[in-house]
Amino acid sequence: MCPHSSLKQEFLKKWIMGLQRCSFSKKNMSILERKKTIKLSADIAMASARNGTTRWSRALISNASKDGSDNRLVQQILGPESNTPVAAITNKARTRRALVCKKIVKRSRRQIRRRRRKCVAAAPVKAVTSSIAKHLVRKRTQVLKTLIPGGEFMDEICLIEETLDYITSLRVQVDVMRSVASASVRASEP
Amino acid sequence: MSSRRSRQSSATVSRISDDQIIELVSKLRQLLPEIRNRRSDKVSASKVLQETCNYIRSLHREVDDLSERLSQLLATIDADSAEAAIIRSLIM
Repeated sequence: MCPHSSLKQEFLKKWIMGLQRCSFSKKNMSILERKKTIKLSADIAMASARNGTTRWSRALISNASKDGSDNRLVQQILGPESNTPVAAITNKARTRRALVCKKIVKRSRRQIRRRRRKCVAAAPVKAVTSSIAKHLVRKRTQVLKTLIPGGEFMDEICLIEETLDYITSLRVQVDVMRSVASASVRASEP
Repeated sequence: MSSRRSRQSSATVSRISDDQIIELVSKLRQLLPEIRNRRSDKVSASKVLQETCNYIRSLHREVDDLSERLSQLLATIDADSAEAAIIRSLIM
C-alpha cells in the first residue's frame, strides 16, 4: 500500500517511542498492564500521527487524557512536544454546552412527535417504507456515532468523513501491529 | 425556537450537499471488504452503515487481540533487543 507506507512508518515510530517512554523494558509489569500500555500507546500513536487535523484524533487523545488513571501515561507517551491540555479544555467546554443544547432539542422533538402522532392518519405504503428506511439510517448513524471517538458532536457529513479517515488509520494500526507480532515471533526463534 | 432553526438549517444543508453524501457513501463502500466484492450498485445507505459499524467493531477486536498477543510475546524476550530487531526488520 504505497500511500500508506509513510503513515505506517509514522505510526510505528510514534508507537515505539511511546512504549520506550513508558519504560516498557521494565520487567515488573503484569500481563494485563502490559497489554493496556501497548493498546493505549498504539491508539495515541495512531491519533497523534494525524497531528490534530481530524476530529476523531483530537477526541481520542482528550478522552484518554480525561481518564485520571491513564492521564499520566498519556502525557508520558506524548512527551514534551504535545499540546494536549488546550485540546482537552476546549473539548470539555464544548461537551457541556453541546449536552445542554442536545437536551433542549430532544425535549422539543419529543413534544412535536407527540403532537404529530395525534393527527396522522394511515399513511400510504411508499411513505411508510421510506420512513422505515430513514429510521434505519438514523438508528445506524447513532450506532456509528458511538463507535467513532467524539462522534456524538458531529453532523452526518462530518461523521462520514471522519469514519473514512478512522477506518484507514485503524487498518494501518492493525497492519503494523500484525507485522510487529510476526517479527517478534521470528525474533524469538533461535 | 433554536431547535426549529437548527432543524431547518440541517435540512437545507443536507439538501444542498446530497451529491457530497452520495460520494462519501460510495467511498465508504470501497473501503468495506464485503460490499466491494458484490457487484451491485444499489446498496442501500443503511446497509453501508451497518457494514461500517460491523467492520469498525471487528477492527477494534483485532487491535485488542493483537495487543494481548504482543503483551505475551514481548514479555518473554528482552525488550531492548526485540525493539531493535523489529525496527530493523520493518523499516528497511
